[in-house]
Amino acid sequence: MNAVNTWNSTQHFWLIILGFIVAFIPRFFPLMLFTKRAIPEWFNEWMKFVPVSLFTALVVKDIFIDSASYALLLDKYSEMLAAVVVIIVAYRTRSMAISVVVGLIGVFILSMFMA
Amino acid sequence: MNKRRPNPKQVPDPNEPLWRSTLRVAMPLNLSYIPIGLACGILLHAAGFNTLLTGLVSLLIFSGGAQFLIATMLTINSPLLSIVLMLFFLELRYALLSSSLSPYLKGSSNRFLFMFAVSLNDENYAINYLKFATDKKWTGREALMVEHYSLLFWAASNVVGSLIGSALKIDLSIVNFALTALFLYMIVMQIKNRLTIVICLISGVLAAVCMMLTKSTLGLVISTIIASLIGFGLEATLRKRLPDSHWLWRLRSPGSKKKAVEHSDAN
Repeated sequence: MNAVNTWNSTQHFWLIILGFIVAFIPRFFPLMLFTKRAIPEWFNEWMKFVPVSLFTALVVKDIFIDSASYALLLDKYSEMLAAVVVIIVAYRTRSMAISVVVGLIGVFILSMFMA
Repeated sequence: MNKRRPNPKQVPDPNEPLWRSTLRVAMPLNLSYIPIGLACGILLHAAGFNTLLTGLVSLLIFSGGAQFLIATMLTINSPLLSIVLMLFFLELRYALLSSSLSPYLKGSSNRFLFMFAVSLNDENYAINYLKFATDKKWTGREALMVEHYSLLFWAASNVVGSLIGSALKIDLSIVNFALTALFLYMIVMQIKNRLTIVICLISGVLAAVCMMLTKSTLGLVISTIIASLIGFGLEATLRKRLPDSHWLWRLRSPGSKKKAVEHSDAN
Protein backbone atom coordinates (compact mmCIF):
# COMPACT_ATOMS: atom_id res chain seq x y z
CA MET A 1 0.00 0.00 0.00
CA ASN A 2 3.00 2.29 -0.13
CA ALA A 3 3.41 2.44 -3.89
CA VAL A 4 2.47 5.84 -5.24
CA ASN A 5 0.23 5.90 -8.24
CA THR A 6 1.40 7.99 -11.15
CA TRP A 7 -1.90 8.56 -12.95
CA ASN A 8 -3.02 12.13 -13.51
CA SER A 9 -6.50 13.58 -13.06
CA THR A 10 -7.45 13.16 -16.72
CA GLN A 11 -6.72 9.46 -16.50
CA HIS A 12 -8.71 9.27 -13.28
CA PHE A 13 -11.57 11.04 -15.03
CA TRP A 14 -11.67 8.51 -17.86
CA LEU A 15 -11.47 5.66 -15.37
CA ILE A 16 -14.57 7.12 -13.68
CA ILE A 17 -16.44 7.41 -16.99
CA LEU A 18 -15.57 3.83 -18.01
CA GLY A 19 -16.42 2.68 -14.49
CA PHE A 20 -19.76 4.47 -14.74
CA ILE A 21 -20.56 2.65 -18.00
CA VAL A 22 -19.74 -0.81 -16.64
CA ALA A 23 -21.61 -0.01 -13.42
CA PHE A 24 -24.62 1.29 -15.34
CA ILE A 25 -25.09 -1.57 -17.83
CA PRO A 26 -25.92 -4.34 -15.32
CA ARG A 27 -28.13 -1.98 -13.29
CA PHE A 28 -30.18 -0.55 -16.14
CA PHE A 29 -30.68 -3.18 -18.85
CA PRO A 30 -32.19 -5.94 -16.70
CA LEU A 31 -34.49 -3.32 -15.18
CA MET A 32 -35.57 -2.02 -18.61
CA LEU A 33 -35.97 -5.51 -20.05
CA PHE A 34 -37.68 -7.23 -17.16
CA THR A 35 -40.21 -4.50 -16.38
CA LYS A 36 -41.54 -5.39 -19.82
CA ARG A 37 -41.12 -9.17 -20.00
CA ALA A 38 -40.48 -12.15 -17.71
CA ILE A 39 -37.04 -13.01 -16.32
CA PRO A 40 -35.52 -16.23 -17.70
CA GLU A 41 -35.22 -18.70 -14.83
CA TRP A 42 -31.69 -19.90 -15.62
CA PHE A 43 -30.34 -16.35 -15.65
CA ASN A 44 -31.55 -15.70 -12.12
CA GLU A 45 -30.37 -19.09 -10.91
CA TRP A 46 -26.89 -18.46 -12.25
CA MET A 47 -26.63 -14.81 -11.18
CA LYS A 48 -27.56 -15.86 -7.65
CA PHE A 49 -24.09 -17.33 -7.21
CA VAL A 50 -22.09 -14.48 -8.73
CA PRO A 51 -21.97 -12.18 -5.65
CA VAL A 52 -20.91 -14.88 -3.16
CA SER A 53 -18.24 -16.21 -5.52
CA LEU A 54 -16.85 -12.79 -6.29
CA PHE A 55 -16.87 -11.48 -2.70
CA THR A 56 -15.10 -14.61 -1.48
CA ALA A 57 -12.52 -14.29 -4.23
CA LEU A 58 -11.91 -10.66 -3.26
CA VAL A 59 -11.53 -11.49 0.43
CA VAL A 60 -9.06 -14.25 -0.46
CA LYS A 61 -7.13 -11.74 -2.56
CA ASP A 62 -7.01 -9.25 0.32
CA ILE A 63 -5.95 -11.73 2.99
CA PHE A 64 -4.02 -14.54 1.30
CA ILE A 65 -2.52 -13.11 -1.89
CA ASP A 66 0.47 -10.78 -2.11
CA SER A 67 -0.61 -7.71 -4.07
CA ALA A 68 2.67 -7.39 -5.99
CA SER A 69 3.83 -10.94 -6.71
CA TYR A 70 0.50 -12.78 -6.52
CA ALA A 71 2.14 -15.43 -4.35
CA LEU A 72 0.25 -17.17 -1.56
CA LEU A 73 0.64 -15.40 1.78
CA LEU A 74 -0.19 -17.20 5.01
CA ASP A 75 1.23 -14.80 7.57
CA LYS A 76 -1.34 -12.01 7.79
CA TYR A 77 -2.53 -13.28 11.15
CA SER A 78 -4.07 -10.02 12.33
CA GLU A 79 -6.21 -9.77 9.17
CA MET A 80 -7.19 -13.44 9.42
CA LEU A 81 -8.29 -13.09 13.03
CA ALA A 82 -10.08 -9.81 12.37
CA ALA A 83 -11.88 -11.47 9.44
CA VAL A 84 -13.23 -14.16 11.76
CA VAL A 85 -14.40 -11.45 14.16
CA VAL A 86 -16.12 -9.58 11.30
CA ILE A 87 -17.93 -12.74 10.16
CA ILE A 88 -19.26 -13.34 13.67
CA VAL A 89 -20.29 -9.71 14.13
CA ALA A 90 -21.95 -9.56 10.70
CA TYR A 91 -23.81 -12.79 11.38
CA ARG A 92 -25.10 -11.63 14.75
CA THR A 93 -25.84 -7.97 14.04
CA ARG A 94 -26.63 -7.94 10.29
CA SER A 95 -25.29 -4.39 10.36
CA MET A 96 -22.87 -3.18 7.72
CA ALA A 97 -21.56 -0.22 9.70
CA ILE A 98 -20.95 -2.19 12.92
CA SER A 99 -19.19 -4.97 10.97
CA VAL A 100 -16.87 -2.56 9.17
CA VAL A 101 -16.08 -0.46 12.25
CA VAL A 102 -15.43 -3.54 14.42
CA GLY A 103 -13.22 -4.93 11.64
CA LEU A 104 -11.17 -1.74 11.48
CA ILE A 105 -10.74 -1.53 15.24
CA GLY A 106 -9.97 -5.25 15.38
CA VAL A 107 -7.25 -5.17 12.75
CA PHE A 108 -5.76 -2.05 14.35
CA ILE A 109 -5.52 -3.64 17.80
CA LEU A 110 -4.39 -7.04 16.51
CA SER A 111 -1.68 -5.55 14.31
CA MET A 112 -0.20 -3.79 17.35
CA PHE A 113 0.29 -7.14 19.05
CA MET A 114 1.22 -9.23 16.06
CA ALA A 115 2.99 -6.76 13.79
CA MET B 1 -45.74 -8.32 11.98
CA ASN B 2 -48.60 -7.69 14.35
CA LYS B 3 -46.25 -7.49 17.34
CA ARG B 4 -45.99 -3.75 17.14
CA ARG B 5 -44.09 -2.34 20.05
CA PRO B 6 -45.93 0.41 21.92
CA ASN B 7 -43.82 3.29 20.75
CA PRO B 8 -45.78 6.41 19.82
CA LYS B 9 -43.00 7.61 17.52
CA GLN B 10 -43.53 4.65 15.24
CA VAL B 11 -47.19 5.27 14.46
CA PRO B 12 -47.28 6.58 10.89
CA ASP B 13 -48.60 10.11 10.65
CA PRO B 14 -50.79 10.53 7.55
CA ASN B 15 -49.91 14.21 7.27
CA GLU B 16 -46.18 13.68 7.32
CA PRO B 17 -44.63 15.07 4.12
CA LEU B 18 -43.19 12.49 1.76
CA TRP B 19 -39.64 13.79 1.99
CA ARG B 20 -39.68 13.24 5.74
CA SER B 21 -41.23 9.78 5.80
CA THR B 22 -38.79 8.54 3.15
CA LEU B 23 -35.89 10.18 4.95
CA ARG B 24 -36.90 8.34 8.09
CA VAL B 25 -36.79 5.05 6.18
CA ALA B 26 -33.39 5.89 4.69
CA MET B 27 -31.78 7.29 7.86
CA PRO B 28 -30.27 4.09 9.37
CA LEU B 29 -28.59 3.41 6.03
CA ASN B 30 -27.45 7.03 5.65
CA LEU B 31 -25.76 6.92 9.04
CA SER B 32 -24.06 3.61 8.33
CA TYR B 33 -22.60 5.07 5.14
CA ILE B 34 -20.69 7.72 7.08
CA PRO B 35 -17.81 5.58 8.48
CA ILE B 36 -17.48 3.55 5.29
CA GLY B 37 -17.67 6.62 3.08
CA LEU B 38 -14.98 8.33 5.16
CA ALA B 39 -12.68 5.31 4.86
CA CYS B 40 -13.33 5.15 1.13
CA GLY B 41 -12.58 8.85 0.67
CA ILE B 42 -9.32 8.51 2.61
CA LEU B 43 -8.23 5.59 0.40
CA LEU B 44 -9.22 7.32 -2.84
CA HIS B 45 -7.19 10.32 -1.76
CA ALA B 46 -4.21 8.05 -1.09
CA ALA B 47 -4.66 6.52 -4.54
CA GLY B 48 -4.23 9.99 -6.05
CA PHE B 49 -7.84 11.05 -6.60
CA ASN B 50 -8.47 14.73 -5.92
CA THR B 51 -11.50 15.79 -3.88
CA LEU B 52 -13.56 16.80 -6.90
CA LEU B 53 -13.00 13.45 -8.62
CA THR B 54 -13.76 11.64 -5.36
CA GLY B 55 -17.14 13.38 -5.34
CA LEU B 56 -17.68 12.52 -9.00
CA VAL B 57 -16.81 8.84 -8.61
CA SER B 58 -19.17 8.59 -5.62
CA LEU B 59 -22.02 10.12 -7.61
CA LEU B 60 -21.46 8.19 -10.84
CA ILE B 61 -20.38 4.76 -9.65
CA PHE B 62 -21.96 4.84 -6.17
CA SER B 63 -20.71 1.48 -5.00
CA GLY B 64 -18.55 1.04 -1.93
CA GLY B 65 -16.99 -2.14 -3.23
CA ALA B 66 -16.18 -0.64 -6.63
CA GLN B 67 -14.66 2.53 -5.20
CA PHE B 68 -12.49 0.68 -2.71
CA LEU B 69 -11.42 -1.61 -5.52
CA ILE B 70 -10.44 1.35 -7.71
CA ALA B 71 -8.36 2.77 -4.87
CA THR B 72 -6.63 -0.54 -4.15
CA MET B 73 -5.95 -1.38 -7.78
CA LEU B 74 -4.56 2.10 -8.45
CA THR B 75 -2.12 1.82 -5.56
CA ILE B 76 -0.77 -1.44 -7.00
CA ASN B 77 -0.60 0.20 -10.46
CA SER B 78 -2.99 -2.11 -12.29
CA PRO B 79 -3.62 -1.27 -15.95
CA LEU B 80 -6.84 0.57 -16.88
CA LEU B 81 -8.35 -2.37 -18.75
CA SER B 82 -7.79 -4.70 -15.83
CA ILE B 83 -9.51 -2.26 -13.41
CA VAL B 84 -12.49 -1.72 -15.72
CA LEU B 85 -12.90 -5.46 -16.33
CA MET B 86 -12.74 -6.14 -12.60
CA LEU B 87 -15.31 -3.40 -11.99
CA PHE B 88 -17.60 -4.93 -14.59
CA PHE B 89 -17.60 -8.27 -12.82
CA LEU B 90 -18.00 -6.60 -9.46
CA GLU B 91 -21.00 -4.63 -10.71
CA LEU B 92 -22.53 -7.61 -12.52
CA ARG B 93 -24.34 -8.54 -9.33
CA TYR B 94 -26.60 -5.53 -9.87
CA ALA B 95 -28.14 -7.41 -12.79
CA LEU B 96 -29.61 -9.68 -10.17
CA LEU B 97 -30.72 -6.88 -7.88
CA SER B 98 -32.33 -4.82 -10.61
CA SER B 99 -34.12 -7.80 -12.15
CA SER B 100 -35.56 -8.70 -8.77
CA LEU B 101 -36.94 -5.16 -8.35
CA SER B 102 -38.40 -5.07 -11.86
CA PRO B 103 -41.82 -6.57 -10.96
CA TYR B 104 -42.42 -3.56 -8.69
CA LEU B 105 -41.49 -0.99 -11.32
CA LYS B 106 -43.66 -2.23 -14.17
CA GLY B 107 -45.11 0.60 -16.24
CA SER B 108 -42.39 3.12 -15.32
CA SER B 109 -40.94 5.27 -18.08
CA ASN B 110 -37.44 4.56 -19.36
CA ARG B 111 -36.37 7.94 -18.03
CA PHE B 112 -37.45 6.95 -14.51
CA LEU B 113 -35.75 3.57 -14.85
CA PHE B 114 -32.57 5.35 -15.92
CA MET B 115 -32.63 7.53 -12.81
CA PHE B 116 -33.46 4.54 -10.66
CA ALA B 117 -30.66 2.39 -12.11
CA VAL B 118 -28.01 5.10 -11.72
CA SER B 119 -28.55 5.41 -7.98
CA LEU B 120 -29.24 1.74 -7.25
CA ASN B 121 -26.91 0.21 -4.69
CA ASP B 122 -26.71 -2.96 -2.57
CA GLU B 123 -27.92 -1.30 0.58
CA ASN B 124 -30.73 0.90 -0.72
CA TYR B 125 -31.82 -2.14 -2.73
CA ALA B 126 -32.19 -4.06 0.52
CA ILE B 127 -34.37 -1.33 2.03
CA ASN B 128 -36.50 -0.84 -1.07
CA TYR B 129 -36.96 -4.54 -1.69
CA LEU B 130 -38.21 -4.98 1.86
CA LYS B 131 -40.52 -1.97 1.58
CA PHE B 132 -41.92 -3.05 -1.79
CA ALA B 133 -42.57 -6.51 -0.39
CA THR B 134 -44.20 -5.38 2.85
CA ASP B 135 -45.70 -1.92 2.22
CA LYS B 136 -48.43 -1.68 -0.42
CA LYS B 137 -48.16 2.10 -0.59
CA TRP B 138 -44.46 1.98 -1.45
CA THR B 139 -43.99 3.03 -5.06
CA GLY B 140 -41.07 3.74 -7.37
CA ARG B 141 -41.20 7.40 -6.36
CA GLU B 142 -40.54 6.71 -2.67
CA ALA B 143 -37.90 4.15 -3.60
CA LEU B 144 -36.08 6.68 -5.75
CA MET B 145 -36.10 9.19 -2.89
CA VAL B 146 -34.49 6.63 -0.57
CA GLU B 147 -31.85 6.05 -3.24
CA HIS B 148 -31.14 9.75 -3.53
CA TYR B 149 -30.81 10.24 0.21
CA SER B 150 -28.31 7.41 0.48
CA LEU B 151 -26.43 8.73 -2.57
CA LEU B 152 -26.19 12.16 -0.96
CA PHE B 153 -24.83 10.81 2.33
CA TRP B 154 -22.41 8.50 0.53
CA ALA B 155 -20.98 11.22 -1.70
CA ALA B 156 -20.70 13.70 1.18
CA SER B 157 -18.85 11.25 3.43
CA ASN B 158 -16.48 10.39 0.60
CA VAL B 159 -15.66 14.05 0.02
CA VAL B 160 -15.10 14.61 3.75
CA GLY B 161 -12.92 11.47 3.83
CA SER B 162 -10.87 12.83 0.95
CA LEU B 163 -10.32 16.08 2.87
CA ILE B 164 -9.37 14.16 6.03
CA GLY B 165 -6.96 12.08 3.95
CA SER B 166 -5.22 15.22 2.71
CA ALA B 167 -4.96 16.67 6.22
CA LEU B 168 -3.85 13.63 8.24
CA LYS B 169 -1.44 10.79 7.77
CA ILE B 170 -3.23 7.49 8.16
CA ASP B 171 -2.06 3.89 8.11
CA LEU B 172 -3.58 2.73 4.83
CA SER B 173 -3.19 -1.00 5.29
CA ILE B 174 -5.61 -0.69 8.20
CA VAL B 175 -8.12 1.52 6.37
CA ASN B 176 -7.93 -0.94 3.49
CA PHE B 177 -9.31 -3.63 5.76
CA ALA B 178 -12.61 -1.73 5.61
CA LEU B 179 -13.02 -3.21 2.12
CA THR B 180 -12.31 -6.74 3.30
CA ALA B 181 -14.76 -6.26 6.16
CA LEU B 182 -17.37 -4.88 3.76
CA PHE B 183 -17.05 -7.92 1.50
CA LEU B 184 -17.13 -10.30 4.45
CA TYR B 185 -20.33 -8.64 5.59
CA MET B 186 -21.82 -8.99 2.11
CA ILE B 187 -20.83 -12.68 1.98
CA VAL B 188 -22.54 -13.31 5.32
CA MET B 189 -25.68 -11.56 4.06
CA GLN B 190 -25.66 -13.77 0.94
CA ILE B 191 -25.45 -17.08 2.79
CA LYS B 192 -28.83 -18.75 2.48
CA ASN B 193 -28.11 -22.47 2.74
CA ARG B 194 -25.23 -24.88 3.25
CA LEU B 195 -24.64 -25.07 -0.47
CA THR B 196 -23.69 -21.37 -0.47
CA ILE B 197 -21.00 -22.06 2.11
CA VAL B 198 -19.63 -24.85 -0.08
CA ILE B 199 -19.55 -22.45 -3.04
CA CYS B 200 -17.69 -19.92 -0.87
CA LEU B 201 -15.01 -22.49 -0.08
CA ILE B 202 -14.73 -23.60 -3.72
CA SER B 203 -14.56 -19.99 -4.87
CA GLY B 204 -11.92 -19.13 -2.29
CA VAL B 205 -9.62 -21.97 -3.30
CA LEU B 206 -10.24 -21.35 -7.02
CA ALA B 207 -9.50 -17.64 -6.57
CA ALA B 208 -6.16 -18.32 -4.90
CA VAL B 209 -5.17 -20.87 -7.55
CA CYS B 210 -6.31 -18.72 -10.49
CA MET B 211 -4.53 -15.61 -9.19
CA MET B 212 -1.32 -17.54 -8.59
CA LEU B 213 -1.52 -18.98 -12.12
CA THR B 214 -2.47 -15.79 -13.99
CA LYS B 215 -0.35 -13.53 -11.76
CA SER B 216 -3.06 -10.91 -12.12
CA THR B 217 -6.55 -9.96 -10.94
CA LEU B 218 -7.87 -11.62 -14.08
CA GLY B 219 -7.73 -14.75 -11.93
CA LEU B 220 -10.58 -13.26 -9.88
CA VAL B 221 -12.76 -12.97 -12.95
CA ILE B 222 -12.02 -16.52 -14.08
CA SER B 223 -12.58 -18.03 -10.64
CA THR B 224 -15.85 -16.09 -10.19
CA ILE B 225 -17.26 -17.38 -13.47
CA ILE B 226 -16.22 -20.98 -12.71
CA ALA B 227 -17.44 -20.90 -9.09
CA SER B 228 -20.82 -19.37 -9.96
CA LEU B 229 -21.33 -21.94 -12.73
CA ILE B 230 -20.41 -24.73 -10.31
CA GLY B 231 -22.97 -23.33 -7.86
CA PHE B 232 -25.61 -23.08 -10.59
CA GLY B 233 -24.90 -26.66 -11.74
CA LEU B 234 -24.72 -28.12 -8.22
CA GLU B 235 -27.97 -26.51 -7.17
CA ALA B 236 -29.81 -27.64 -10.29
CA THR B 237 -28.50 -31.21 -9.86
CA LEU B 238 -29.37 -31.29 -6.15
CA ARG B 239 -32.86 -29.93 -6.79
CA LYS B 240 -33.45 -32.60 -9.41
CA ARG B 241 -31.89 -35.63 -7.72
CA LEU B 242 -32.25 -34.90 -3.99
CA PRO B 243 -34.94 -32.24 -3.60
CA ASP B 244 -34.88 -32.47 0.19
CA SER B 245 -31.12 -32.63 0.61
CA HIS B 246 -29.94 -30.87 3.74
CA TRP B 247 -27.53 -28.85 1.59
CA LEU B 248 -30.53 -26.83 0.42
CA TRP B 249 -32.00 -26.17 3.84
CA ARG B 250 -32.33 -22.55 4.63
CA LEU B 251 -30.01 -21.22 7.30
CA ARG B 252 -31.49 -18.62 9.54
CA SER B 253 -29.34 -16.02 11.16
CA PRO B 254 -30.21 -14.97 14.70
CA GLY B 255 -30.91 -11.36 13.84
CA SER B 256 -32.31 -11.67 10.36
CA LYS B 257 -35.99 -12.40 10.21
CA LYS B 258 -37.27 -10.78 13.34
CA LYS B 259 -35.27 -7.62 12.87
CA ALA B 260 -36.31 -7.20 9.25
CA VAL B 261 -39.96 -7.42 10.18
CA GLU B 262 -39.65 -5.10 13.15
CA HIS B 263 -37.75 -2.70 10.99
CA SER B 264 -40.36 -2.57 8.25
CA ASP B 265 -43.04 -2.27 10.86
CA ALA B 266 -41.32 0.63 12.53
CA ASN B 267 -41.19 2.55 9.32
